[in-house]
Amino acid sequence: MKNPRRRAEYRAAIRTEWKRANKAIPMKLLKIGISGVRGIVGESVTPKLVLDFASAFGAFVDGKPVILGRDTRIHGPMLRAACVSALLAAGSDVLDLGVCPTPILQKAVRELRAGGGLSITAGHNDIQWNALTFIGPEGAYLNPFQGAEMLDLYHLGRFRSADTDNLGRLETDPGAAARYFAALAAFLDVEAVRRARFKVVIDACAGAGAPYLRSFADALGFDLIPLNDEPYGFFPHDPEPRPRNAQQTVSIVKVIGADAGFLLNSDVGRVSLVSERGESLSEEFTFPLVADAYLTRRCGTVVTNYSTSRMIEDVARARRCPLVRTKVGQSHAIHALLLESAVLAGEGSGGVAIPDFQPAFDGFLTMGFILETLARTGKRLSALIGDLPRYHIVKEKIYCPPSRIHSVVDEVKALLGGQAVDTGDGWRVEDRSGWVQVRMSGTEPMVRIIVEDRSRERARTKADRVLHELESLAR
Amino acid sequence: MKTKTTLKISISGARGIVGDSLTPQLAATLALAFGTYIGGGTVLVGRDTRRSGVMLGQAVTAGLLAVGCRPVDVGVCAIPSFLFLTKAQKAAGGIAVTASHNPKQWNGLKFISGDGLYLTPHQTEEYLDIYHQGEFDFVSPGRYRLPEAFDDASEPHLRKILSLFDADKIRRRKLRVALDCNNGAGAVMAPRLLRELGCEVVPLYIDPHGEFAHDPEPLPENITAICRAVRESKADIGFVQDADADRLAIVNEKGEPLGEELTLALAVRHVLGKRKGSIVCNLSSSRIIDDLAAVHGVKVFRTRIGEINVVEKLLAAVPKAVIGGEGNGGVIDPLVHPCRDSFTAMALILESLAETGKTISALQRTLPRYALVKAKIEGSAEQAHRLIGILKKKYEEGGRIDLTDGLKVDFADHWIHIRPSNTEPIIRVMAEAKTEAKAEAALNILKDAIEAARKKL
Repeated sequence: MKNPRRRAEYRAAIRTEWKRANKAIPMKLLKIGISGVRGIVGESVTPKLVLDFASAFGAFVDGKPVILGRDTRIHGPMLRAACVSALLAAGSDVLDLGVCPTPILQKAVRELRAGGGLSITAGHNDIQWNALTFIGPEGAYLNPFQGAEMLDLYHLGRFRSADTDNLGRLETDPGAAARYFAALAAFLDVEAVRRARFKVVIDACAGAGAPYLRSFADALGFDLIPLNDEPYGFFPHDPEPRPRNAQQTVSIVKVIGADAGFLLNSDVGRVSLVSERGESLSEEFTFPLVADAYLTRRCGTVVTNYSTSRMIEDVARARRCPLVRTKVGQSHAIHALLLESAVLAGEGSGGVAIPDFQPAFDGFLTMGFILETLARTGKRLSALIGDLPRYHIVKEKIYCPPSRIHSVVDEVKALLGGQAVDTGDGWRVEDRSGWVQVRMSGTEPMVRIIVEDRSRERARTKADRVLHELESLAR
Repeated sequence: MKTKTTLKISISGARGIVGDSLTPQLAATLALAFGTYIGGGTVLVGRDTRRSGVMLGQAVTAGLLAVGCRPVDVGVCAIPSFLFLTKAQKAAGGIAVTASHNPKQWNGLKFISGDGLYLTPHQTEEYLDIYHQGEFDFVSPGRYRLPEAFDDASEPHLRKILSLFDADKIRRRKLRVALDCNNGAGAVMAPRLLRELGCEVVPLYIDPHGEFAHDPEPLPENITAICRAVRESKADIGFVQDADADRLAIVNEKGEPLGEELTLALAVRHVLGKRKGSIVCNLSSSRIIDDLAAVHGVKVFRTRIGEINVVEKLLAAVPKAVIGGEGNGGVIDPLVHPCRDSFTAMALILESLAETGKTISALQRTLPRYALVKAKIEGSAEQAHRLIGILKKKYEEGGRIDLTDGLKVDFADHWIHIRPSNTEPIIRVMAEAKTEAKAEAALNILKDAIEAARKKL
């Protein structure tokens, strides 16, 4: 197509097609991944779907006890009832923790040597969504092999069904949270935190963390100013911890002279920060901030994903710790963490796991560790952040029919010519000042473009270029 | 011969075997259809004492929530109390997880409308249409309701019964009552009711944990323990409830079972002594009812088998019905609630003892005597209907044919009845005559005729 006019027409045609494709995205969004299944309630998430997946999980744990918890979504009780029913029918006893953050549930799975755990939460997704997250007997998200086995059981569709005398029993465990916070207090330097007399604002977004903020504050001994700590079935803002959702926290942190502000997602797997100056920080800062302090104490391999900021590379390099990158998602990160005997794993989305405590992204541990670091160093949060290298990230997304998503990502890559490409997750190219990644989303039918660079302008330019290519060369 | 199915979806609800045909998936789908049918609103969810009740109740709850209903868990609850509560609470409907007298590996769902009655055959048809079409009214998050729980679901029912009977008179008689709830749902309320009526309770199997102490069908051979208990404790009477407490069997003070047909007969006679009005019972209830009606000069309406059929007629009968029920020990007193109710039956019998001052065996002696014999034969509903087609011709001479439900033939001194079960893949046959020998003879003739007819199929 050397004729520029023909080329322009061609591009226009492609753009129209893209628009049509974007409109034609199936209404019933359903995403089945390694570690769980998520979708829109009433559309793809129906009692039948939940029962079938929970039945498959009952077969996966082979009748051993399962620990069950949920976040605060209004439809949580529907999914809960279906999970209880399916698990009892499969012969598993069910220990129901009610509204419970996933990390507390994960700790309970390990501690009680259960067959597994089922957490009913769509994490950072908005209220229309809900999901089942499967926890293996190690208290970690299912790894890719376990996930494949789970899916085989689901697809087989012949579930384990106990006869009347061997049905599971439904029980509760009111002590699980207390045991968790006791373990957390034993892991951290609680005395230092207590002496520092911190004033801390936490926005639980009316999620699963909400009923537990008080226990958390009591365990660590700080002065809590809770925000959105009354669960009512919906969320006061998007339950994704990131600056655009931080207005409430920002507006009070500086006014009341708090030492830190934290935002949680709906199951307390992720945290983002607000400094004592009222500056809301990108969720990308959470992981490098923890790493910066933790790696000075305990050096070893660090795991992160391909889309996480270069900050962690600089931090790890400074401590002479090797860095391993994986595909996006807690499942992949924790799998690599255990495989590599790493000391730390985390993602740019604000999830951090310290395996010496448990192999799970744990928002309480993340907040606790940051408070401990503030107490030990005597520095303010803004100063700790100031110590980290600064990059600029641009994130873009473009909808794409699920059936085309892999080929689109692949075709864009072909345009790059001679550059060295890392294909661990979509593709990723690096240069001296930053990197570009294009990958399919793990949770929605779209292609994500992530660009990071020392220069804000350069990041923007690079992102625009990829977007442009994606639009014009989709076919 | 076709294989026997372990799932039955009929006007009596759905029944199946847990771990086999009755899965959480099926229960949830039935609940989705029910919630869609009634169009949302409050739905009570109750269960009998079977171990599988919790599992199925949760599946039902999930289904109801998904279509915007507000499920209220009333826990373990006797069926009559549950029906009463559904109406008293002005709920949009109810789902009871129960398989009544079926063996413990069975369970089922019964669907109840807002007026506290089982869905009528027409309503069931409409409802099942939605179930079969499989399109349900899933709601968006904004229209979700939260599940709730209701404590002490028996209380409103208990108070209603106490308000309608002469409790003082019963209390004055200071009766000693042996009670066998077979560890079923009746145990939640029966001991309380009897104590409120001033009775001394000799309890037997009153832990509602669902491990039945004996076969839940209250036939004489299954209730020997209470017969002994009555004799040993010198009780005035013994009561046996079935697993969901809609039916009542009685043991006299000598420790002899009266036979379940007499429960309705005693209740009918007691009520007719107070109020004149029609009687409604099903086709296979004893002729004693007709004899009692003749004495009091009232009308008897006979209906198809199935509680809802009796109830529908009871509510529509002219002259107005004052009592109804089934020969299997199911007594319906419309003043309490139009449903079979073993608690109300107890109160009726005790009031009758208190008012007459007689013993239960004396009351029993003054009833007309018949012998009713029953048997079950392997066979599907479809087979039963083909058999009936053949048998009808054989019985046409000498008897009055009634095809309302299966085949009933009335002769001058006896009757026979053959029909497919609504709840299990079996054919029920029975015969009633003045003596046991005559009844057995009639039943044997019927059985032989069936075997002969089978060969022609």
